[in-house]
Amino acid sequence: MSRCDFKIVLLGSEHVGKTSLVIRFVNCRFNSGTPYQNTIGAAFCAKQMQSHDREFNVGIWDTAGSERYEAMTRMYYRGAHAAIICYDPASLASWTRLRHWLQELRTVEEDCKVYLCGTKKDLLDTGTVQREVPEDIIATYSQGLHGHFLTSSKTGENVDELFQKIVDDCVKDLKVMKIVEEARVQLQKEDNEKNKNYCYC
Amino acid sequence: MASTSKDHVAENEEALNEKVATDLEPGACLESILNPTDSFEEFASEISTSLEDRKTSLTIKSSTISEIQNEIGDSSKESSLRETKSSDNLQAKNESMSASASNSNLLEENEEESDEKDDYLQSPELVNKEKHVFILSSAGKPIYSRYGNEDKLAGLCGVIQALVSVVEEPNQDILRSINTKDCKAVFLVKGPLILVTVSKSNESETQLVLQLTYAFNQIVSVLTLTQLNRIFEQRRNYDLRRLLSGAERLIDHLFIFMEKDPAFLLGAVRCLPLPEKARENITQAITSTCNKIRDLVFAIMIAGNQLITLVRMKKYTLHPSDIHLLFNLVRSSESFKTAESWTPICLPKFDATGFLHGHVSYISEDCQACLLLLTVQRDAFFPLSQAKHTIAEKLRRSNCLVAINDALNRNKELPTTNPLKHIGIPEIRHFMYKCKSTAQLFTSDPISLDRLQDYRLRHKEGGDITVKKIEKLSDIDYVRNYRQFCNQIHCISTPAKLIFRSNSHDTVLAWVTNGFELYVTFDPLMEKDHAIRAVDRLLHWIKKEEQRIFIMNAPTF
Ligand SMILES: Nc1nc2c(ncn2[C@@H]2O[C@H](COP(=O)(O)OP(=O)(O)O)[C@@H](O)[C@H]2O)c(=O)[nH]1
Ligand SMILES: [Mg+2]
Repeated sequence: MSRCDFKIVLLGSEHVGKTSLVIRFVNCRFNSGTPYQNTIGAAFCAKQMQSHDREFNVGIWDTAGSERYEAMTRMYYRGAHAAIICYDPASLASWTRLRHWLQELRTVEEDCKVYLCGTKKDLLDTGTVQREVPEDIIATYSQGLHGHFLTSSKTGENVDELFQKIVDDCVKDLKVMKIVEEARVQLQKEDNEKNKNYCYC
Repeated sequence: MASTSKDHVAENEEALNEKVATDLEPGACLESILNPTDSFEEFASEISTSLEDRKTSLTIKSSTISEIQNEIGDSSKESSLRETKSSDNLQAKNESMSASASNSNLLEENEEESDEKDDYLQSPELVNKEKHVFILSSAGKPIYSRYGNEDKLAGLCGVIQALVSVVEEPNQDILRSINTKDCKAVFLVKGPLILVTVSKSNESETQLVLQLTYAFNQIVSVLTLTQLNRIFEQRRNYDLRRLLSGAERLIDHLFIFMEKDPAFLLGAVRCLPLPEKARENITQAITSTCNKIRDLVFAIMIAGNQLITLVRMKKYTLHPSDIHLLFNLVRSSESFKTAESWTPICLPKFDATGFLHGHVSYISEDCQACLLLLTVQRDAFFPLSQAKHTIAEKLRRSNCLVAINDALNRNKELPTTNPLKHIGIPEIRHFMYKCKSTAQLFTSDPISLDRLQDYRLRHKEGGDITVKKIEKLSDIDYVRNYRQFCNQIHCISTPAKLIFRSNSHDTVLAWVTNGFELYVTFDPLMEKDHAIRAVDRLLHWIKKEEQRIFIMNAPTF
């Protein structure tokens, strides 16, 4: 039972910037001062978004990316409409891991829309770090997918664009929308029944 | 009856009983949310185990989690989850790692590198620390070092492993500790892990073993015992750090927490003092919201390492040490503050073999209380998320958030904020009280969040032994002082029931009865009679405030 219309899951190695991406998108901020902390288990956020003049409730799952929880990651991406697989362009290792996530995802959720996201664009732009993942490889790889974005959670660049594209794509997908509508009707029904049976508040 | 040093005067317990109302057991109640097993008794048995016992003690007993699942008719799901970390899965991941580390080649390797390692052991990162902690696998692979970089400690770990096995193998004996003039090394072998602490603190061997056991439990809490055992059965030489990434921080914090908070010393849980009515409303908000959720095992609300309320499934209680691990998890994890989390959590005392699934979130932006909803159902996130929002709304409407914030901010109007002022016995400098039947504790000067944080920051920079001048003693300093008394009271061979020590620094009275443990620090050179009268008044005050200080019922869903 979920009150969200769309479910988006973030995948990728530890430290690539998944949590920062969600915090930038949902809370419009970036914590640069605090030392790195890995995500425990998975974190859930919801945000109201608009597409084609309609309101949608979008649920976002931020996963830990650590080996410890790998066996459990599946339960986070089951039923996901879209997945953002993150890598850090300055880390070849994070790119190599990305194939693993893609494979995993395909075995569990075949129809899930997949978006690649290169993170920490600001660091590339300022020359603080060197790109390790060649752009042409990324271009080739993302051809079969739904999109590729290069984002910065520090400046906010391309973050809203990424999530907006995902929601727009979902809304355009008739198959997805049919399920979303059905779920809404079902929830409405359940709510009505609950209110009849006992006071929920 | 014990008397240790020259300035000790052992008091006759009967004399005390005459003067103090002995039936007074503040905080006692018939049913407890916590399992009041005394951790000292437990660790005493840990210390007295033989090698044979040790091998059998970690074999897995029945699982409480599957018991619950069977009861609610939902057994298939969880077991399949636990199986997912299957052998092939692990094997595949390790392909890149070279296998085989028999004892012999491990030692050889260490000899080669020994020059460089010796230097590292002398580096400022490692010398002059009050307490080191090393965790390694039984194959001698470094897993955790409290200070420095464990990668560079392979040599030391090899030596530790060799020491442990040299005592074990030919002699069928257990290496427990090594004592030098100013330093104790305490060893604990548990399952596939070896845990060692090298300490210059005044903590006793028992207390140090207790801390190592906590560290072991912290590891079990992120992996489960089943997984930990299986990993090393499959690959004796596995590098556990790959699975623990991020959990080192939990162990770091755990040691700081254990050194500072008397909750560990006494195996008890501190409750956030709240008006009786407020706590009742909070509990009520939880039970009324959650009583329809079948898979929920525990709902726990905490703030600043203090328990606000705990609602449980009938028949099940929590052990204080499991709650301490939850406190530690919440305190050390910033990520819970920004979003609702959903994470597997193993509570080693409750069931070391499997995970519970926890919905973890702070009540609201303006109230730093954290709610943990623990279930056996791994798909329960959304119902629990909804329950949390309903609970938060109820708490806000019934003004409970204000009550919690008042207590957390130590509002001056509350009698529990500065108990010594309210008790009105100026000679009492500090006290710490544990109600045994409910495993709850109260101290006169609860470590405020900021101070623990301060300590943490300072500690991160060093952990060095320093001779600092102390102006005003805090909870932390008094508790450090109580350690030796606590140790005598819990001594296995000759436990003391009452200790009265008066000298020119201070006067300390430590007293244990069937119902409670009490430690009080008075001004120097107090008269015994005078101290006893003060203790009587103190107990009456705690009794008067017990409803506020302690959780006096044991609510279930
Ligand atoms: N400069 C910069 N740093 C970032 C950016 N995104 C993440 N980081 C940093 O990278 C580290 C890891 O980020 P986090 O979001 O926690 O990674 P996660 O493990 O994938 O969730 C943190 O120290 C962040 O501050 C970014 O866009 N720009
Ligand atoms: Mg993260």
